[in-house]
Amino acid sequence: MEGDVVSDLVRQLVVRIFPVVNRGGGGGGGGGEKNSSSNVASSNGSSGQPLRKGSCAAAAVVSESIVDRAHRYAMRIIGSRISPSLANDEGAMAEAIKRQLVQENRSSDALTFADLHRRLSLQSGPGSLENRWSLLYLLRAISDDQRRERAETRGTAFPYTSTLSAPAVRGGLPALPENVSRSNNFFSLGEQQTPAAAAAAAAGELRSQQHSQAIEPSSGVLILSKDDGDVRAAAVAEYVEIHQTETEVTEMALVRDIVYACQGIDGKYVKFNKDADGFLIEETFRVPRATRTLVRRLCEVGWLFQRVKNHISESLEDGPLEAIGTVGQAFCAALQEELSDYYRLMAVLEGQVHNPVPFMLTSDGMKSTGSYLSLRRLSVWLAEPLVRMRLMAVLVDDCKTLRGGAMAGAIHMHAQHGDPLVRTFLRRLLRQVCSPLFEMVRRWVLEGEVDDYYGEFFVVAQAVKAELLWREGYQLQTAMLPSFIPEPLAQRILRTGKSINFLRVCCSDQGWAQSAADAVAAAGASASGGSLGYGETEALEALVVEAAGRIDKHLIQIMYNRYRFRDHCLAIKRYLLLGQGDFIQYLMDLVGPELVMPANTLSSFKLSGTLESAVRASNAQYDDSDVLDRLRVRMMPHSDGDRGWDVFSLDYSVRDPLTTLFTEEVMGKYLKIFNFLWRLKRVEHALSATWQTMKPNCAIARLSLNEGGGGQSQLTVVLRRCQTLRNEMNHFVTNLQYYIMFEVLEYSWANFLEEMEEAHDLDELIAAHDKYLGSILEKALLGERSQLLCKTLFALFDLILRFRGLADRLYENAREVQARSDIALREKAKRDAPKARDGQRRLSTAHLSGDFLGSMGEEMDGLAVEYSSLLEGFIAQLPAQQHVDLKFLSFRLDFSEFYTQQHMGMSTSHLRILRNPLKNTRPSWEKKCG
Amino acid sequence: MDGVGVQRAREALDIAHVMANLLGTGLDRQTLSILIALCEHGVNPEALAAVVKELRREAAALSATPSPV
Repeated sequence: MEGDVVSDLVRQLVVRIFPVVNRGGGGGGGGGEKNSSSNVASSNGSSGQPLRKGSCAAAAVVSESIVDRAHRYAMRIIGSRISPSLANDEGAMAEAIKRQLVQENRSSDALTFADLHRRLSLQSGPGSLENRWSLLYLLRAISDDQRRERAETRGTAFPYTSTLSAPAVRGGLPALPENVSRSNNFFSLGEQQTPAAAAAAAAGELRSQQHSQAIEPSSGVLILSKDDGDVRAAAVAEYVEIHQTETEVTEMALVRDIVYACQGIDGKYVKFNKDADGFLIEETFRVPRATRTLVRRLCEVGWLFQRVKNHISESLEDGPLEAIGTVGQAFCAALQEELSDYYRLMAVLEGQVHNPVPFMLTSDGMKSTGSYLSLRRLSVWLAEPLVRMRLMAVLVDDCKTLRGGAMAGAIHMHAQHGDPLVRTFLRRLLRQVCSPLFEMVRRWVLEGEVDDYYGEFFVVAQAVKAELLWREGYQLQTAMLPSFIPEPLAQRILRTGKSINFLRVCCSDQGWAQSAADAVAAAGASASGGSLGYGETEALEALVVEAAGRIDKHLIQIMYNRYRFRDHCLAIKRYLLLGQGDFIQYLMDLVGPELVMPANTLSSFKLSGTLESAVRASNAQYDDSDVLDRLRVRMMPHSDGDRGWDVFSLDYSVRDPLTTLFTEEVMGKYLKIFNFLWRLKRVEHALSATWQTMKPNCAIARLSLNEGGGGQSQLTVVLRRCQTLRNEMNHFVTNLQYYIMFEVLEYSWANFLEEMEEAHDLDELIAAHDKYLGSILEKALLGERSQLLCKTLFALFDLILRFRGLADRLYENAREVQARSDIALREKAKRDAPKARDGQRRLSTAHLSGDFLGSMGEEMDGLAVEYSSLLEGFIAQLPAQQHVDLKFLSFRLDFSEFYTQQHMGMSTSHLRILRNPLKNTRPSWEKKCG
Repeated sequence: MDGVGVQRAREALDIAHVMANLLGTGLDRQTLSILIALCEHGVNPEALAAVVKELRREAAALSATPSPV
């Protein structure tokens, strides 16, 4: 029943389309249209026919047969393809039509069409169209045909479609030869040959008729218009054939497999080959080599993807957290984000693979069997992801062994790349990777906390005692320092955090929090550190500089004001470096006699008492009690035979946090200097004491007067020798003393004060103080380079002390003798004893004196010789010293080049002692000093 | 068919006719109606299009050459 209806309808159609011949030639197909007996879905088509038949008899017979034939033909066409080969997608069809209209620059028509289609689809219920899709398809097909007809009649070139097979079939296949007549065209339709071929044949027929290039004009069937397009088209057709025979696997299947491979999954044909370390089509499938290579290249993305994915899963799931740390985690997270982009692309591609867009009918009606996605399209799509995946894989390889700041630094080095794409990509990655690092920096700089469980930060904290906190508590770990944070900035960061910790621990100060908040406000960064990230090294630097500046200032202020660093320094200078002259004088006076005793008999308690009295006696009593409290006596560890002089020293006790500055080592240095200065002072003291005894007094004068002859001259000689020696020694000691005072101590102190003013942070302060001490040590001949000189100096001191002893003895004896002779004289005067006895007595005293004097004289000579040689040696060595200031010392000591001349001269010791030009040098030196 | 159905059918035909004109198919209403009927009966539209094309060709050929048949 259905078939009848269809058949009738077809017949009607045929009738309508076919022109009525009896209308005369030239009646086009439009003639039939005038027959407006409208047959809307009428089942009985025969009503039309009699009408027609009735219109003209003769022609009707002709038409009838033709009509019959046409009808049969039509039925065959219809019968050959029952089901449509394209998907039943109305929407896509409408879209395709619209697109075509737009392509022809008929956009308004496209809109109209859209509107119509919408209206059509809104219809529902009886009377509306069910098979809208087929209608649309039909209209489209017919319009395409029409267009092609028009194009053919115009004789223009055929539009070239993009599928391989279209041009081949369109014009390439030669039409059937003439003996295969039109009837063959009709009958051969049931076979394999597509109607397109028949259409081509018919088209060729038509064309040949119209182009009039046919060799056989009567049948006009052969196509002989062989232009270049045909040759090329023929070649392409051959290629297609070969390709299709060689390829066992369809392109679509390969594409699908590649899409799987790009996600690391083995497909049906493309599997991961461990030997070749890549995704390959299995050998068992017959696939042309070019395709294999193409597939292999496309699957590189998959290989890279696998590497990245493995790294991520290893780091995040398998390994312990300590192995990679927070930075490594951030890195994996960033990678995963990139991969999710990649997944999205893959999903889109997969969708394309499975649901191909219905392809337009090509110009000759040949459908394309391929999907939208071909291998080449895929390679275009995968080009950019390949670049990115490669980058990620390279990064993954590099960062396998790195952690923390080192990892960030390595990635940063990669980011120094010329390609802007690479740069932006890596920048994005780095922002994420560095965020834990920057967070750590921020916390450290603003709060002084090291928030680092996995050892990734470049500041490491060590647990040390409070006084070592500054120097050793925190260190820079350069291995973890990322390369985009320069070294000075890192130092500053370290110092800022150290200062905060120092303030918090040692000074118990909370004011730093305010400074930190100010710094943050000034730098404009939010408290959560959200704006700090990679690429904003300037912002970080600004923040650090601000914070550092403020905190340092705060620290310095605390140091100066609360802990009165300056005052303590000054106090140390005054007491330990013998700056407070009068106090030291009193102290020496008081302590001197006691220190002559052996060391183990002395008690520090008693000495402290002496210290107290000295303090009270001098100007030092007006000093700050806090300062005076810290001053105390210290007995150095002593061995047998040591005198008190060797073990006595003063000590200045310092508490936290100043112990950071005045460490044990520093105090040791101070002690060394104190020792030296103390000895020097002692020698000076000794000499001045000697002067007290040696200064001209009536006792000595009378003695020399009383003695006559040889005794007198000997005494005078000895005395004089004593005097000159003492003078020489005094000159030396005084010059040395002044040198130490002016060139060394005061000078260094002035420098130190200047630097203290300029010091911005504790590090600078410590450095300045160290420099101060160092320069003192160097210049005072206590450094390593001056060991020899130092020994000479101490030997000289010993000599001087010996001399002092000697001189004291001499003068004591002289006085004793004098006293005795006085008594004797008085007795003599009283008793008027016989002169002989006096003379004898006198003689005896003189004789005593003579022997005594003789021995004295010898000793004195020996001493003098030794002294001179030592002094010469000392002075000779001075210029050899590196320190430029020591030249000043030699300058002072040998102003008139007396010693150098002596050194070079051959004069005897005797003469040397007699000469005393030293007195001349004094005034000029004083002029120099004054 | 009831009136509404007929009306709807006519509407559909009108719309289809306009569409066909838009696409330049060169079909008139009657032919179009027949084709629609055939489509509704489930005939393959590709085949129909081919039929139309063939018939047109044949017709053109017939009218162009004087047929001795």
